[in-house]
Amino acid sequence: MDNRDVETTPGRPLPPRAPAEVAQTSLLRFVLNGEPVIVASPAHWSLLEVLRYQLRLTGTKQGCDKGDCGACTVLLDGRPINSCLLLALEVEGRAVQTVEGLGVGGTPHALQRSFDRAGAAQCGFCTPGMLMSAEALLEGKRARGDTTIDTAEIAEALSGNLCRCTGYTKILSAVADAWRATS
Amino acid sequence: MLRLRALAFERPTSVQDLTERLTQQGDAARLLAGGTDLMPNLKLGTVQAATLLSLSALPSLSGIRRVEAAPLGSHDAATPQQALELGAATTLDVIANHPLVQRELPALAAAVARIASPQIRNRATLAGNLCVDTRCRYINQSELFRVALGGCLKSHGSECHVVPGGQNCVAALSCDTAPVLIALDAVLALTGGADGDRTLPLADFYNTDGLSHTNLRRGEVIVAVRVPVQRPDVLVTYRKWARRHSIDFPLVSVALRLETETHGETTRLTGGQLVVGALGPRPRIVQLKAFVGRDLDATLATALGALAVKRCRPLPNLPYDETYRRRRLGVETQRAVMALIVMGPAALPARHGA
Amino acid sequence: MSAAPPYTHVGGDHAKLDAADRLTGVAAFADDLTLPRMLHAKILRSPHAHARIVTIDVSRAEALPGVLATVLGAEMPATYGVIPWTPDEQALATDKVRYVGDALAAVAAVDEETATAALALIDVVYEVLPALCDPRAAMANQDVLIHEQNRHGNVSKRVKLAFGDVDEALASGVHRISGHYEYPGSTHAALEPHCALAHVESNGLLTIWSATQVPHYLHRELSRVLGLPTWKVRVIQPPVGGAFGGKSEPFDLEFVVAKLAQKTGRPVKCLYTREEVFLAHRGRHPFSMDYELALDAEGHILAVDGHTVLDGGAYSSFGLVTTYYSGQLLCSPYTFGTYRFQSTRVYTNKPACGPKRGHGSVQPRFAIEVQLDKGAALLGIDPIALRRRNLLGADSRTVNGFHVGSNGFAECLDQVELHSGWRTRRGKLPYGRGLGVAGSTYISGTNYCIYPTDLPQAAVQICLDRSGRVRLFTGASDIGQGSNTTLAVIAAEHLGVELEDVRVVAADTDLCPVDLGAYSSRQTLMAGNACVMAASKLAKEVRKAVAEAWGCSAKLVTLASRRAQRIDDPATFMSIQDAFQLAEVAIGTLGSVGHYQTPREGVHSDYRGGTIGASPAYSFSAHVAEVEVDTDTGDVTVLRVWAAHDCGRALSPVLVEGQIEGSVYMGVAEAVMEHHYVMPTGLNGDGNPRNSGPGVAGLLAASSLLDYPIPTTLDTPEIHAIIVEAPDPRGPFGAKEAGEGPLHPAIPAVANAVFDAIGIRIDALPITPEKVLAALDAQAAAAADRHGGRAHA
Repeated sequence: MDNRDVETTPGRPLPPRAPAEVAQTSLLRFVLNGEPVIVASPAHWSLLEVLRYQLRLTGTKQGCDKGDCGACTVLLDGRPINSCLLLALEVEGRAVQTVEGLGVGGTPHALQRSFDRAGAAQCGFCTPGMLMSAEALLEGKRARGDTTIDTAEIAEALSGNLCRCTGYTKILSAVADAWRATS
Repeated sequence: MLRLRALAFERPTSVQDLTERLTQQGDAARLLAGGTDLMPNLKLGTVQAATLLSLSALPSLSGIRRVEAAPLGSHDAATPQQALELGAATTLDVIANHPLVQRELPALAAAVARIASPQIRNRATLAGNLCVDTRCRYINQSELFRVALGGCLKSHGSECHVVPGGQNCVAALSCDTAPVLIALDAVLALTGGADGDRTLPLADFYNTDGLSHTNLRRGEVIVAVRVPVQRPDVLVTYRKWARRHSIDFPLVSVALRLETETHGETTRLTGGQLVVGALGPRPRIVQLKAFVGRDLDATLATALGALAVKRCRPLPNLPYDETYRRRRLGVETQRAVMALIVMGPAALPARHGA
Repeated sequence: MSAAPPYTHVGGDHAKLDAADRLTGVAAFADDLTLPRMLHAKILRSPHAHARIVTIDVSRAEALPGVLATVLGAEMPATYGVIPWTPDEQALATDKVRYVGDALAAVAAVDEETATAALALIDVVYEVLPALCDPRAAMANQDVLIHEQNRHGNVSKRVKLAFGDVDEALASGVHRISGHYEYPGSTHAALEPHCALAHVESNGLLTIWSATQVPHYLHRELSRVLGLPTWKVRVIQPPVGGAFGGKSEPFDLEFVVAKLAQKTGRPVKCLYTREEVFLAHRGRHPFSMDYELALDAEGHILAVDGHTVLDGGAYSSFGLVTTYYSGQLLCSPYTFGTYRFQSTRVYTNKPACGPKRGHGSVQPRFAIEVQLDKGAALLGIDPIALRRRNLLGADSRTVNGFHVGSNGFAECLDQVELHSGWRTRRGKLPYGRGLGVAGSTYISGTNYCIYPTDLPQAAVQICLDRSGRVRLFTGASDIGQGSNTTLAVIAAEHLGVELEDVRVVAADTDLCPVDLGAYSSRQTLMAGNACVMAASKLAKEVRKAVAEAWGCSAKLVTLASRRAQRIDDPATFMSIQDAFQLAEVAIGTLGSVGHYQTPREGVHSDYRGGTIGASPAYSFSAHVAEVEVDTDTGDVTVLRVWAAHDCGRALSPVLVEGQIEGSVYMGVAEAVMEHHYVMPTGLNGDGNPRNSGPGVAGLLAASSLLDYPIPTTLDTPEIHAIIVEAPDPRGPFGAKEAGEGPLHPAIPAVANAVFDAIGIRIDALPITPEKVLAALDAQAAAAADRHGGRAHA
């Protein structure tokens, strides 16, 4: 940066970025969608990067770089988190669930079925993250023994997941449908 | 995708280990708790770190318990006071949904429930929120933007774009917990500094330097936040305004503490304070001494709204019109008073019984 | 609604064909693709809004370990533009940069981090030029030219058209309404960032996977800029994560990965950061609009006179079309006695504007619908009644010469009036609560390709398999709106198979016939008609072969539900598999082609520009919005929107509802929240450009999904989508568009509802709290003046 237009761009140069080859890399062990995984992870890689670019689980999407959109939502020990904001090495020994882990043995998960029927996925890019937030909501409700669901609590649970296609209308109703179908 | 620069990751196994490493490495090391503020800042390059010190092997820093605490802060009660001790690394989601917090510190639970998004609350920690970096429309931007701007006091330049000619960074305190916790008389338990363990009222935690707005010393970390359980006649609430109802940082942020006494049908003010965030680097604390003896009514609400506007001047540092934010601060303050009147001491039987 | 004809799939309750893959994480979007030895590219972007490039030196970058190649604009200097009349862009700038973010060099490296690090080692010397960020200032400035070769200074395009004697009609009006309106600019913010991957085979064939909505136009421009024959370039569109017009032209990354793949002999991928998506932009233009409306005593529209300045940003993009659309798409669903508009698009040193959902007409639609609302208030009549008085009607001609076929607008108004409880609630809600109405129309594709050609606009090829399967090849671009499903519905309806029997192969320029892409709401009508042609030809052959076997007339054979069946004798049937095989025996391997060419007769008039904005068929929408205004804070909360949309025929009702709901969401966001804000120009007192300090020219204030606020679940109104069907003879099964039209009325409906709620007009979008408070203050001051006789301060 420092050679760029020095006479008109005041200030100290920004610190240079180092090439990745100098990065610290560690072996990371965690449980991914119910199966143990060992992977070499650069220390500065997020869980999202390890999922997508090391483990090739590309169902988890990247939309905003930094925790603003929720497309990268996965479950960490059952709680939805933004995988772009979590260093991969932080999941050592913990359980991660991604969209690939929804549904069992080729049978779609109730949420996937209800999203499909309701037309809740248009482009489908926010959908994996949306599904994971919804799954955490429904599992949490089941664990608490809740018997009813309302739109407000679904909207609250999904309020960290941006969708640009649907206006959320069919997403909210699909989550309610999935709840009713399974409880 | 925006990538992090290469860095080292370390996982201290004791708080002492953590503070020693922090002391050794100084500014080159950053404490990594939830990472929800640090990671974006590292990605954008507004913060640099050679090493991240993870708290993930320090479960002792999390948890919520009831403690008997010596009175601290502005109260003069001589008897030991009930308090909740919130571990520094307790996540915001846990705090917002914890029965003890909901019952004893409902204002805190409500404030925390409106921070960022559900995903972020699941990772973000209490101390992490208290230490959220100050924010400014000229700094929380991409590298391209900051280079094009020619930098600023906080990035890589020498000019302040908020206060022309200013030599002191005025980026805004942007966490939601500080105002409400100050209004609740919270005290920080700190360790690792040159003087060892110490406590510090949260009200004294911040300074006016937007580049380094907390008074943490080298190597020092927050261990816990102790929040006294309020007497039933002390009313606290928090109001936040942002453009959206989720995800956003506050653009207007005000906590209100009203200390009251009730005689028959009337409730009067005996003390209290306004704690306003999202101004400069430090929360503005406005004492309500001048209003002692006033009835809790709509007139008081209007007066406190006007007080907030008079005593607080939002700067053009956050990405929203500062004139509007000032006016909105008045409205939110007024509404905070009205909300507390509606809630009222009498409306809190659970607290009386506790 | 009339009883629907007995279709098996059309209008049925079916899910999207390819949703399951998107719901399970299987669908591979552009950034999900990886090739062996793949490199990663990053692009160097200008920190100056306007500057001459003196030198670029990449030697330090190339020396960085892990860097394989760099590329500069001089290596592909050809100018291009999606509109062939206005080629003013280069893949990478060679002489000048024209906005903060303009691309001028790129690096391919072993990983993204190394490529990013290398960018900082490219040394550029710039000669900084004054930046022009205000369109009126840019228009007036003859000394600083953003495009030196442009013949009209900084004016990118000017259109003046008049229909009838507007001045006389204005003079004869009983009511005259003048209004000034501002639309500030907004962006698409599709969730998927742009991404492209290029691979060169050993025979020189270049393949590009790109998150584009116009594979065909990308194909053409890649071949032109890279100097390759089109047959050596293959564009594949993987599943796209939203587009909304933001991926409807070539972008720098596509040229960059192609060139770097050629130079390195390795696959190269480039993924935009979110900031780069904001900089690439091509979003909705800021419009500054002045409208004059004349009504007669009964409220008939005698004249509309509009003057609009469009802030185009640094490049032309689709701007020529935008400039026409800004006036040409306004003449329906109401009858204008006379009409005149003058629109001027101006270059500025900002990210280039282009088409966003409802291209060109969302901004003027806001203005005219508020003008009509003001007219209704002036006349003291119901705003819906005023609109009814001016209905254009079906099979009609607009004042600017467009032929309108089916027209369900009157029913749209009826529906929203009914569902919103308009008659019992409007005007009777408490202060602070209000209802507002607005209407609109939109095109179902443009009548002409953006480059001159007599070739068809859309084509479909279908093969029938002896297993009973249908293979459908189309150049149509499914960007999430569901065009693959729509085409499958049409094919299945004709050929008697189930949706899951149809395999759609789409948007691959090597495998699929040309379709112009997903823009201007053209896929359902145009690709749909091509599909009807291909499928019906095959259905005819199959029915003929079956009829011969049964010894009856082909008219007596129907294909449905995986069967061929005798209409007069339902007990006689055979499986569709057997039916296909009979046809294959009769005529050989079963395949057919269909195409669509727009009608050229009677669709539009012959004046210059009269073809732009002409469409085979028009959709119609009416919305009622309900808002709550907090008069202390100025907050406008949009509570509910009832949106009725005439899509001709809903081939897939769930998809149509989804388009309506998504459109309303996006429109409401533009009404109250979104603003693609570029900091204004900074010139010091001495007239020299200011390159630092507050207000530095051309900086994009919000370039993240945090700072550019798109509504969350908690910021989105309740949306009631109502489908209205006025089948158009020009649409497949009568279908018209649904993807863009329903956005238009959302904005003025909200603005009009705010007026109903608190009696104030906010004519500059977005309707933010501070504007509401300022207007309330002004209202109070005016009232105090009237009642208290207080002199003006």
